[in-house]
Amino acid sequence: MINTEGMVAETAAKIYTDLCGREVPHEAAAGQYPQALWDALAENGLPLAWVSEDNGGFGADYDEVFGAIWVSAEAASPVPFAETLIANWLLDRAGVAIPDGASTFALLDGNAASVPFAGTADHVAVYDASKNAIALYKTADASAADGQALSPDSDTRLDFSTATPVASAATNLSRRAVEALILTVRAVQMASAIEAALNLSIAYVSDREQFGRPLSKFQAIQHQLAVAASESAAATMAATQAASALARSADDPEKAWHEAVVAKVQIGHSVEAVTVPFHQVHGAMGYTQEYDLHHYTRRLWAWRDTLGNEHHWSKTLGAELAVTSPDQIWKGVTTGAWIAS
Amino acid sequence: MQRFNFPVIQPDPALEELRAELQAFLREEREAGNFRPEPECWMASSDPEFSKKMGKRGWIGLTWSSQYGGHDKTALERYIVTEETLRAGAPVGAHWIADRQHAPMLIEHGTEEQKRDILPRIAAGECYFAIGLSEPGAGSDLANVKTKAEKVEGGWKINGQKIWSSGAHISHYMVAILRTSPADGRNRHVGLSQIMIDLSLPGVTIKPITDLSGDAHFNEVYFEDVIVPDDCLLGEEGGGWKQVTGELAMERSGPERFLSSYITLETALHQLQGKLGSDSQARLGKLIANLRTLRGMSWGIANLLHQGVSPETEAALVKDLGNRLENDLTLQVRALLNDLPEDEWSDEMRRILNIGILRSPPNTLRGGTTEVMRGITARQLGLR
Ligand SMILES: Cc1cc2nc3c(=O)[nH]c(=O)nc-3n(C[C@H](O)[C@H](O)[C@H](O)COP(=O)(O)OP(=O)(O)OC[C@H]3O[C@@H](n4cnc5c(N)ncnc54)[C@H](O)[C@@H]3O)c2cc1C
Repeated sequence: MINTEGMVAETAAKIYTDLCGREVPHEAAAGQYPQALWDALAENGLPLAWVSEDNGGFGADYDEVFGAIWVSAEAASPVPFAETLIANWLLDRAGVAIPDGASTFALLDGNAASVPFAGTADHVAVYDASKNAIALYKTADASAADGQALSPDSDTRLDFSTATPVASAATNLSRRAVEALILTVRAVQMASAIEAALNLSIAYVSDREQFGRPLSKFQAIQHQLAVAASESAAATMAATQAASALARSADDPEKAWHEAVVAKVQIGHSVEAVTVPFHQVHGAMGYTQEYDLHHYTRRLWAWRDTLGNEHHWSKTLGAELAVTSPDQIWKGVTTGAWIAS
Repeated sequence: MQRFNFPVIQPDPALEELRAELQAFLREEREAGNFRPEPECWMASSDPEFSKKMGKRGWIGLTWSSQYGGHDKTALERYIVTEETLRAGAPVGAHWIADRQHAPMLIEHGTEEQKRDILPRIAAGECYFAIGLSEPGAGSDLANVKTKAEKVEGGWKINGQKIWSSGAHISHYMVAILRTSPADGRNRHVGLSQIMIDLSLPGVTIKPITDLSGDAHFNEVYFEDVIVPDDCLLGEEGGGWKQVTGELAMERSGPERFLSSYITLETALHQLQGKLGSDSQARLGKLIANLRTLRGMSWGIANLLHQGVSPETEAALVKDLGNRLENDLTLQVRALLNDLPEDEWSDEMRRILNIGILRSPPNTLRGGTTEVMRGITARQLGLR
């Protein structure tokens, strides 16, 4: 289970309840950044939760931090909380000093990379697998491409070729270890957002009346949401399984890669299966900027593209399984122990 | 606020040892030609000889006390056995329902004499049960059962008809839901009771129904003035509805709700290993991610049941997702097989795939239809 009861998660929950009411994501989208929310997270040291004590953090368990990430996604966090956690994790693992303020992350392919919250975060921690190195840049130093974004905080393409890093260091983190962490964080956010949007949809159809009764009394509506609920339950399971694998292999995150990829594939494919009914049952209201649903659905559409979409990852996982024995595949399905080493 | 939480449970080395034993046994049996693997094996492949071998090995009746022929093990050991036999497509249909459903029911509601008499025979793989819920006029609308049990001196007199009773033709007993007093106009669930019927009694007629594949594993069962003794009423008179819905949670979340067709995939993978093109690799990756997730959910429920929690809605969710997945699996295998020229398909592959296609319609019907599962979920969501 994603632990939303630990100290870290509870502190985050309190901050999000106090400072991220339902108006906040709307105000943020209109350009009013919730600085108070970020400041409260920072004052409590939450963005440093995964940073080792030597480096000024408090080396919290994966579990509890995932609980905090769950809470932030539920509130449609307009500040880069999860992204800063990932960036600081990367920097800490490479022994780079953690900068103040909000950060984000990127996996470099060539000169450029897709960067979430590029317009908000001060710094970006860039992992370059080809050089086994992590470099820290000021986000403003990279040049941004222009494109229609899926959500206000979704990826912007940044080109780093002319930027000079603030710091950089070699790392022995493998690409798979980095992928395991990022994919698991995204899985937790997505499962949380799916559940939040499900709850929003249930509330809406229970309230809205047509033909003299609430929409919830129509079987066609009930069944659409029952299917969405089953996808939501599966997404939570997949995210929890990945989070738990990472918690168990804290010293060697690469070992959690398969479970993270399973979650990526499962949840990426679920997005269509949930966002379609969520928008359908809301009618035109769900298509408006004024209503809350898009805070979740737009993020889900954006997050499913993190490090490549679900088709790419289905193929990556399938390619590996296609050459292993059926016995090995069965072992993975039943025990989570994927490939014999 | 809706939250579905399934605990993540790590593999247990003791259980993995049991798994290895089963795998070795199943491999030997298959290689010796003692069975041919099939999809939907838990419903449609029955072999009393095979059931007796399973019984001898101690793999039936795992969960009940050795006093009644059981093995004092947990529901988790049982889960491993069911999962491995499904994976192998082994002919477990004869004992499956008795082991899964009716033994626990007898332990809860049976008399001491029934337990001593029947449970050891179930554990030995020699005594089989059929489920008597459906009637011609009562499928999804189960509260509409009309078959009657009337109180008579020292027992009950039964008249009416059940239908779709899987395995009744080879079963020794049926547990049926019967009307023991008239329905109350407002609450149709009252007046129903569960009664165990010895199928060899006079007045019982069993007529097999042939399915579209030519198999005949389900039946019509007629009762004409059949007299059963008093102690065949299981649980409370009039409490049948509550008992049945409790039982369904266990019935709906087991591995048979998402692994019935796994043998089709495994058979194909033996032929396709290393030969899949990139489109097929993507299909395989998605399928395996779905299977891993569903297995996590189903295993989570098994652990909750083990702790005495009965998560009815979660079970309905798993059944709905799982049934869709097992049908999708067969379709995906058809697509994967495009990567192998047809004249390289083994006869075994073709046979298993075709059986899988012919046996796919019941997945989303038996044990409650998809629509009924979604109704249960909708109620939990507060929509009904
Ligand atoms: C292979 C197989 C084995 C079986 N074994 C057994 C057994 O051993 N014992 C036993 O008792 N039964 C058994 N059954 C019966 C099974 O439980 C029923 O088929 C099932 O409950 C559906 O009932 P029905 O067939 O009468 O369909 P119906 O209830 O007539 O339903 C037909 C269709 O209408 C839909 N529908 C019905 N009511 C509603 C509603 N309110 N809202 C929306 N849609 C609705 C259903 O979902 C379904 O799609 C078996 C069935 C099969 C196929």
